[in-house]
Amino acid sequence: MESLNYYSGRLKSYYEVVGTVAMRNVKLRYKNSILGIVWSLLNPLIYLLIFIVIFRDVFDLENYPLFILSGLVFWTFFSGTSIQILGSILDSGGILKSLSVPPIIFPLSHLISSIINLLLMLIPFFILMLFFGLQLSWNTLLIIPGIVLIALFTFGFSIILCAFNVFFRDVSMFYNTILPAIFYLTPIAYPIDNVPPNFQIILKLNPLFHFISFFRDILYYNRIPQLGTTIITLGLAIVFTIAGLYIFKSLKKGFISHL
Amino acid sequence: MEKEILIEASNIHFSFLLQNQASIKQYFLSLGRKKLFLEKEVLRGIDLKVYKGESVGLLGRNGSGKSTFLRVLAGIISPDKGKIKVYGRVAPVMALGVGFEMEMTGMENIKLLGSLIGMSKKEINHSLDYIKEFSELGDALDMQVKRYSSGMMARLGFSIATAGNPDILIIDEALAVGDKGFQEKCSNRIKEIKNNGGTLLFVSHSIEEVKKFCSRAVLLNNGVIEADGDVNEIGEKYLNIFQ
Repeated sequence: MESLNYYSGRLKSYYEVVGTVAMRNVKLRYKNSILGIVWSLLNPLIYLLIFIVIFRDVFDLENYPLFILSGLVFWTFFSGTSIQILGSILDSGGILKSLSVPPIIFPLSHLISSIINLLLMLIPFFILMLFFGLQLSWNTLLIIPGIVLIALFTFGFSIILCAFNVFFRDVSMFYNTILPAIFYLTPIAYPIDNVPPNFQIILKLNPLFHFISFFRDILYYNRIPQLGTTIITLGLAIVFTIAGLYIFKSLKKGFISHL
Repeated sequence: MEKEILIEASNIHFSFLLQNQASIKQYFLSLGRKKLFLEKEVLRGIDLKVYKGESVGLLGRNGSGKSTFLRVLAGIISPDKGKIKVYGRVAPVMALGVGFEMEMTGMENIKLLGSLIGMSKKEINHSLDYIKEFSELGDALDMQVKRYSSGMMARLGFSIATAGNPDILIIDEALAVGDKGFQEKCSNRIKEIKNNGGTLLFVSHSIEEVKKFCSRAVLLNNGVIEADGDVNEIGEKYLNIFQ
């Protein structure tokens, strides 16, 4: 038999492994489902419909559906990705206990597959947004750095939860319980101006508010995101990525005892 | 001729963290006075040298630290204290079937698992023929792994792990599965890897199995190496534990 040369134990190509595992995630997500990718669209569409029906006459906003959609799409990315990354180490327990692979591969692969999913979702959503009055311009291209920022933030935030969840399964229970609350605390279906000023401060402590504002500036107001918003989102993305990687790295030694 | 060292372990310590009382509740109720985690020392200073081409059997009762030590060797866990040096590619054949994605086909699993054990896409493609032939799974490779019998999973797992002559083959009580014919085939493949200059680390509770492959054996007890030497002699000692 032909002899192949490997080098010891270590993974040859980190990227190739992450890519392979990410493709597995994409395949698994829609395997055995008839509607496939349509399911990714259905969830935000149902929310959109509910909000339009209930709140259309409450908020005096032009293009209310576009207002919601410009935030909702990215909320869906955040919530879906964070839930997947949260469980990624526990789900891969078997592999981590029997093969020498760096644990970070699993959250990273979920981030990649979620970004792929977001990009696929954006196609029909853009058509829908155009229908609701989205104005395309060069500004629209700014959603690309926006996606990079929200992806980094989501990744950093989620690997912190993921690492703690290996030790205390309560983390995922808790997160799943409060996720709907975070949703309503993020101004997705309502403009923040409708909230009493005292509470506005609280809402602004929510990191997601700033990311939603970033995308809303581009897609709804058709303008370059405000400087303050840009600086805050950039800062959040960097701080959470570094903090996440640091915490994950500090805790990963104990993973194997708890899988 | 100077023998080439392949594995050098010195003073390996490893502890598992066990959750105290299995609940964070008591931790907070005791205002942090109760410890959240207890450490359980599994390896208490292991020294072992293995030379190229050797076959070493690891013996010891359940919980003596065999599997944990193999995990240290395979780079799955890093020791708390001590140094481990491994020169070569390790192919771990732990519990077979672990790491398979049940919803995916055998073929997709070859690519996934191959990638996870450190093969590049090119190397996986090179190994496909060997894996197909050795596992004898044929058309079943296009079937979802969840429809496989345990024997079929063992075939696939062993074939992937032994593809492309690994330098060090670690086998952890994994040969008991599969039918007679396949067990025989695995034995032959292990001997072939040995003959090609490969090194074998073998864990089994069956002395006969160990004797079949190994000339040297190591007896682990309570996280330390209690005896190291000729397989017949160590085998006796191992059996004596249970007298």
